[in-house]
Amino acid sequence: MKPARGMSMESLSRQEGPGPSARPPGRRAVGSRFVSGLILLLLLGCSVFTLLPIYMALLNSFKSAGEMLSDVLAWPSSFDFANYADAYRKIDFPRSFGNTVLVTVVGAVGIVLFASMAGYKMSRTPGRFSQSLFLLFAISSLIPFHSIVITLVQISKGLKAQGSTLGLGLIYVGLGVALAVFLYHGFVKSIPRELDEAAIADGCGELRLYAIVIFPLLLPITATVAILNVLWMWNDFLLPLMMLTDSRDYTLLISTNMLFGEYNNDWSAILSSLVLTMLPVLLLYVLLQKYILSGIADGAIKG
Amino acid sequence: MSKTSTKRVLTLLLFASPALLFYLIFTIAPAFGGAWYSLTDWNGLNPSYRLVGFANYKEALADDPAFVRSILFTMKYVLFMVVLQNAIALLLAALIETRRRSRTWFRTIFFTPNMLSLIIGGYMWVFVFTKVLPELAERTGAAWLDRSWIGDPAWSFYAILILSLWGGVGYLMVIYIAALQGVQPALKEAAAIDGANGLRIFRYVTLPLIYPALTIGVFLTLSSSFKVYDAVYALTGGGPGRATQVISLNIVEEAFSFSNRYGYASAKAMILFLIVLVITLLQLRFMKRREVEA
Repeated sequence: MKPARGMSMESLSRQEGPGPSARPPGRRAVGSRFVSGLILLLLLGCSVFTLLPIYMALLNSFKSAGEMLSDVLAWPSSFDFANYADAYRKIDFPRSFGNTVLVTVVGAVGIVLFASMAGYKMSRTPGRFSQSLFLLFAISSLIPFHSIVITLVQISKGLKAQGSTLGLGLIYVGLGVALAVFLYHGFVKSIPRELDEAAIADGCGELRLYAIVIFPLLLPITATVAILNVLWMWNDFLLPLMMLTDSRDYTLLISTNMLFGEYNNDWSAILSSLVLTMLPVLLLYVLLQKYILSGIADGAIKG
Repeated sequence: MSKTSTKRVLTLLLFASPALLFYLIFTIAPAFGGAWYSLTDWNGLNPSYRLVGFANYKEALADDPAFVRSILFTMKYVLFMVVLQNAIALLLAALIETRRRSRTWFRTIFFTPNMLSLIIGGYMWVFVFTKVLPELAERTGAAWLDRSWIGDPAWSFYAILILSLWGGVGYLMVIYIAALQGVQPALKEAAAIDGANGLRIFRYVTLPLIYPALTIGVFLTLSSSFKVYDAVYALTGGGPGRATQVISLNIVEEAFSFSNRYGYASAKAMILFLIVLVITLLQLRFMKRREVEA
C-alpha cells in the first residue's frame, strides 16, 4: 500500500497547479466558465451543509429557552453568556478539561515514546524474531475495538485501572501503540544506517543513540503519530464511558453526554456545553490546520 | 546462535518490551480472552464458569432475532456508507482541486467535522433534525424537511447516514486530494491534447492512477462502518425500540446493560470480528488485484 508518495506539507498547501479538468486555454471558454461557476456553487452548498449544525449550535447557545422556542433561526437578541456560565458549572469544565488533557497527554507520550523505541529497533534488526514481532503488532489493525472492549473492561478491573484517569491513559497506550510502531517502523527505513554505525563507533550507547541522534530525526512521523492519537483519544467515547466511574474523573465528552441525558430538553444548557467541548479542538484545528491535514493523509496512507 | 546475534535480540527486546507489554495486556490479551470467554457461560462476576462449546454462537445466530437484525441493519448501513462516503469524498476532492484560490478554504471547512467526536456532532444534529429543520420547513414550505427524523425508523436510518457522512467524508477527502495531487499533470495534458474532455480524462486517466487510494478509502470505510457506535448512540440510541441498533450497540447492551452475559456477548463480539475480517480481506484482495502499477 504505497500510493501517492511525497504528499508532504508543501503539496497539500500548494496553491497553484491545474485541476483534473484542465484543458488547453481558450477552448470552450464560456462553457468552462459556466462549469466552474457550477462547481463553486456546489462547493458552497456543501460548505453550508457542513457548517450548519455548528452554526446553529453556536447561534442558539446564546438564546434563552423562550427565545429559542419562538425562533431558532433568528440572530440572538443579545450575546448573553449566562448559558455558558451555567454549562461551565454543570459539566465542571476546568476539571473535565483537565481530565481530558491528562488522559490524552499520558496516552500520547506513552505511545510516541514506546512506539518510536520499538519501531526504530525492529526496523534496524534483521532476522526472524524481529519480523515476528512486527507481524504481532500488525495484527492489531485487524482487531475491531468492539470485539475486545468487553474483556478489556474486565482486565482493567483486575488491574485496578478502572475508575482512574491515569489508568485510562495507560490503556490507550496499549490500544494505540501498535499502529504507531507500524508507522515508525516504516519511517526509520529512510534514516541512513551509517548514522547509527558512526555513533556506535564514537562510543555512543544504544539508548543514547536512540535518544540523542535518532529520536529528533523522527520528528515528522512523531507529529503524525501525535496528531492521529490525540484526535482519537480526545474524541473517544465508549472506553471512558465504561472506565470512568466517578463523575470527578469524567472527560469533557462524558460530562457533556451526562448533561445531555440529564437535561434532555434544556437545549440552552446542552448547546452551550457542546460549544464549550468543541472549542479546544476547533482552536487547535485553526492553529495547526496544515499539520493536522498532512498528518491525517500521511497516517492513513502509510497505515 | 552467535554471541552478537544474542546481544542483538536482547537489545531489540529492551527497546520493544514497553510497547509490547502494553500491547499484550490491553489488546492481545482481551482478544484472546474474548475468544476464550465466548466458549463459556461466564457472567462477568462469578469466578466460576462452564465451557459450553459453540452454544453461544449458535444461540446468537439462530435464536437471537435482535442480534441478527442488528447485523443486517449494520450491513445495510455499511453498504450505503462505502458507496456514498467514497463517492462524495472523491467528488469533493476532484472539485476542490479545480479551484485555485479557494481550495485551502474548502478543504479546511469540509474537514472540520472530523475534528469533532460524533457524540458532539450527533447532539448538534439532533438539534438540527428536531428544531431547525421543522422551522426551515415551515418558513420555506419545503415540507419534506419536516420529518420525524429521529423517531421514525424509516427516516432515522437516513439521519444516521447524514450524520456519519457529515462526520466522515472530510477524512477520505483529504486522502483523495493527496492522491489526486500525485497524478502527474503531463498525463492529463496529453489526454487533453488528444481531445478528451474533463470527465473522460478523470475516468480514463486519473481514476486508474488513484486506484490504490480508492482501495484504502473503501477499506477504511468498511472497517469503520462495521464498528459504528457513537453516531447511532448519540442520534437514536438504537431506537425507536431496537430499530436502528447496530452490532456494536447490541454487543455493549448485552454485556453491560441488563443481561450481564459476558460469555454470550463475547461470542457476539467474535462474530463481529470474523465478519469484519472476512469482508475486509475479500475487499483488499479484490481491489488490490485491480490496481494498476503506476
